[in-house]
Amino acid sequence: MSIEIKNINKGFGSFSALNNVSLDVPTGELVALLGPSGCGKTTLLRIIAGLETPDSGNIHFHGKDATERAVREREVGFVFQHYALFRHMTVFENVAFGLRVRPKHTRPNDAEIKRRVHELLNLVQLDWLADRYPPQLSGGQRQRIALARALAVEPKVLLLDEPFGALDAKVRKELRRWLRRLHDELHITSVFVTHDQEEALEVADTIVVMNQGKIEQIGSPQQVYDQPATPFVYQFLGNVNQFNGHATNGEIQINNTELKINAPELTQNSPVLAYVRNSDIEVYKESQHTTSTINARIQHIHAVGSLVKLELQLSHQSDVIEAELTQVRFKELALSQGDNVFIVPRNIRVFPSTATQ
Amino acid sequence: MSATITQYRKYHSKVGRSRATSESTLVRYSLIGITLAFLGLFLLLPLLAVFTEALRKGFETYFSALIEPDALSAIQLTLTATAISLPLNLVFGVAAAWAIAKFEFKGKSFLITLIDLPFAVSPVIAGLIYVLIFGAQGWVGGWMSDHDFKVIFAIPGIVLATIFVTFPFVARELIPLMQAQGKEEEEAAMVLGANGWQMFWHVTLPNIKWGLLYGVILCNARAMGEFGAVSVVSGHIRGLTNTLPLHVEILYNEYNYAAAFAVASILALLALLTLALKTYVEWQSAKNAAGIEKEIMEREIKE
Amino acid sequence: MAQKNSLPGFNLSLGYALLYLSLIVLIPLSAVFIKTFSLSWAEFVEAATAPRVMASYKLTFGASFIAALINVVFGVLTAWVLTRYQFFGKKIIDAFVDFPFALPTAVAGIALSAIYAKNGWVGSLLEPLGITVAYTPLGVIVALTFIGLPFVVRTVQPVLEDLGAEVEEAAASLGANRWQVFYKVIFPAIWPAVITGFALAFARAIGEYGSVIFIAGNMPMVSEITPLIIITKLEQYDYAGATAVAAVMLVISFILLFAINGFQWWNNRRFGYVK
Repeated sequence: MSIEIKNINKGFGSFSALNNVSLDVPTGELVALLGPSGCGKTTLLRIIAGLETPDSGNIHFHGKDATERAVREREVGFVFQHYALFRHMTVFENVAFGLRVRPKHTRPNDAEIKRRVHELLNLVQLDWLADRYPPQLSGGQRQRIALARALAVEPKVLLLDEPFGALDAKVRKELRRWLRRLHDELHITSVFVTHDQEEALEVADTIVVMNQGKIEQIGSPQQVYDQPATPFVYQFLGNVNQFNGHATNGEIQINNTELKINAPELTQNSPVLAYVRNSDIEVYKESQHTTSTINARIQHIHAVGSLVKLELQLSHQSDVIEAELTQVRFKELALSQGDNVFIVPRNIRVFPSTATQ
Repeated sequence: MSATITQYRKYHSKVGRSRATSESTLVRYSLIGITLAFLGLFLLLPLLAVFTEALRKGFETYFSALIEPDALSAIQLTLTATAISLPLNLVFGVAAAWAIAKFEFKGKSFLITLIDLPFAVSPVIAGLIYVLIFGAQGWVGGWMSDHDFKVIFAIPGIVLATIFVTFPFVARELIPLMQAQGKEEEEAAMVLGANGWQMFWHVTLPNIKWGLLYGVILCNARAMGEFGAVSVVSGHIRGLTNTLPLHVEILYNEYNYAAAFAVASILALLALLTLALKTYVEWQSAKNAAGIEKEIMEREIKE
Repeated sequence: MAQKNSLPGFNLSLGYALLYLSLIVLIPLSAVFIKTFSLSWAEFVEAATAPRVMASYKLTFGASFIAALINVVFGVLTAWVLTRYQFFGKKIIDAFVDFPFALPTAVAGIALSAIYAKNGWVGSLLEPLGITVAYTPLGVIVALTFIGLPFVVRTVQPVLEDLGAEVEEAAASLGANRWQVFYKVIFPAIWPAVITGFALAFARAIGEYGSVIFIAGNMPMVSEITPLIIITKLEQYDYAGATAVAAVMLVISFILLFAINGFQWWNNRRFGYVK
């Protein structure tokens, strides 16, 4: 089932949680709402579920207006951040709850409920825990039971609020791969909220980056990572260096160095912000004749792991930038702390400096 | 603060103390000694006095004081008043706690203060207000005597006064408990298709049952033992509008001490039973809360 | 007060709660003030400040204040002993602290007068020393101390429990001796709870009736408490007089209630802990 969100506004007192948000979620997609805390992502998810009512705007489920539809009639599955398992019911009863509360004429009989619950518990590989109570489960197990419980009502849409937020790093990694596989199997339209960029990039088909109640960018993981639409997205996703520069006639000047970039929109003489990924900073020992370089000095070297991270002090600015090199390239250059080097930023993206948040 | 929450916190506080943060043995034993002496003088002695005085003239006098018709009718009236006021305050407590704990609205903290009002009012005034309304010279007194319906110096007045003095108990216990529990579980039930009653019966009620029971125990003890408020509206008609505490007063004022203390000993036993039940519930809810937290911690570590 | 929230029952539960609150508490209480306004100012002053009434205020507030002070001293001590030390029977004693809440006040009243009467267990010991408790203002203080006992203990106890050993260890490691730790670290943390407990015990004591009347002797001008004045006036069908005195007591009780709630609210904001 597809979800169309149109011009949603929501405020809490004087605080505007969502500001004219529109979003389409096509059938069968796995969408991540990504942003820092307080950006409105959870509010948006709760509005889709019907747990909050928008001040204005509409939600359509498969083309039909569902804005006024009550929570229990929306046929959504919701996985809460802290799972919200019923602590006085066994795992079995938790999963069966959605079936048992149905009106008599649509309620499956006991045998059918039993079959369906065990099927779901098998799906989440926790059938052996059916008689336990939620407090007796680990965080990861509770997470999977919460998912099984949400799936029991055969929802048309699955909504997950920070599904891995309360878990430790290792369990988290396992579970997000598992969620991806599960989605590939079931193909339920799913929306999940996260503040963890790695999680969003790894799991989602589409990422919606949000900030301060607005959508900054919608795109595939590759799109939002490689072509960030705004300075915010640049800073929020991946490691990036920010340069303060000046634009003149389609060129920018950083650190007294003219860098030719193709930015015809920047015709005016104005301050700009330029963004370069850490991995797009090339480091040389000698000045390059083919292109303009920036002088810098190596302040610190972190050589642990597959990549070597350099902290570089620009010679005319107090800014410190970071560069990432492969181990091979690092050995080739034979760099050591205190060396003066020449750097070439590639794939520079420039924004007028008023465009920052 | 909710007692069930206090218990929950109690579990988390550590007991063991190092020498640096403890007193010398002499100081420690002196403080324990003074405390026990004070509590012995003010708490234990009155309890012992009740039973000693009650049995001073032997068991036969004791039991005859209890099975005497006026005593039995006092017991019956006390039970009736309690049986009416308890469920009413229970429903109110749950309704008020639901609105206050699960929703945001203006004037909430003022409402919480208003719910506490009956505890701030002298029991004598609690009786007086109903006399002012339903008494012979009261607002509706004339109309009621025309229709031959009595509230003051009759059972309805006693029930009203009892409801008033026990009004806040359940609500006070449930509000902080339900606020602490949040509303995620209820939301989960709604998303899973439960209707309002299903959500309440299957999710909310099991979660608040210990707090509810705790409030009921306190409410019950006060309802059965209330003296001042009931005294004002009762009229002290023997065998008709006398509750147990009022019966104690009458016997005492008639210098029938043995009988007065015999009836009082029933109420003292009720107090002891209340303390035992209350402690049991505190212990249960602490175990619940502690058990949950402890298991979470253990699992989390193992994982 | 429309509520946009997915959970059901807001209008029903709040509506019912407000209706019940109004019927049982607010409307009946307003009767006191409405009745009072039917008096002229001179009548009100005469009823509310007659010498016998003034004497009862003095006794009620004075005895309540002293009883609450006694409870502060022994309440803090009891809370301290119960949270810090291990000894035999501690759990039972902890539960038993609530005994005055559970025991009907009339029972407490007759038991205390039996103990403190001239031939009673304690009264007979005090008699040779020339101290009479029963049927004097001293008896009022004893009864009010009894009924107010749990308040200070139960407000201070959770704060002492929450006060982890760590801050005390930190103070000790910085060179503070035990007494310095108490008045520089522990006392500042518990004083708001002590004040709250004092105010609660005091508020309860000024309205108390059942436990006091048996031991007080109820002599006009000497050992007659204000709630008893109200009852006496009622029994003489002096409704206006009873209401005038009740109005004075009610206003004071309300001020105390709002002061206590306001103090706790301020305190929570300031220190960020509940209680």
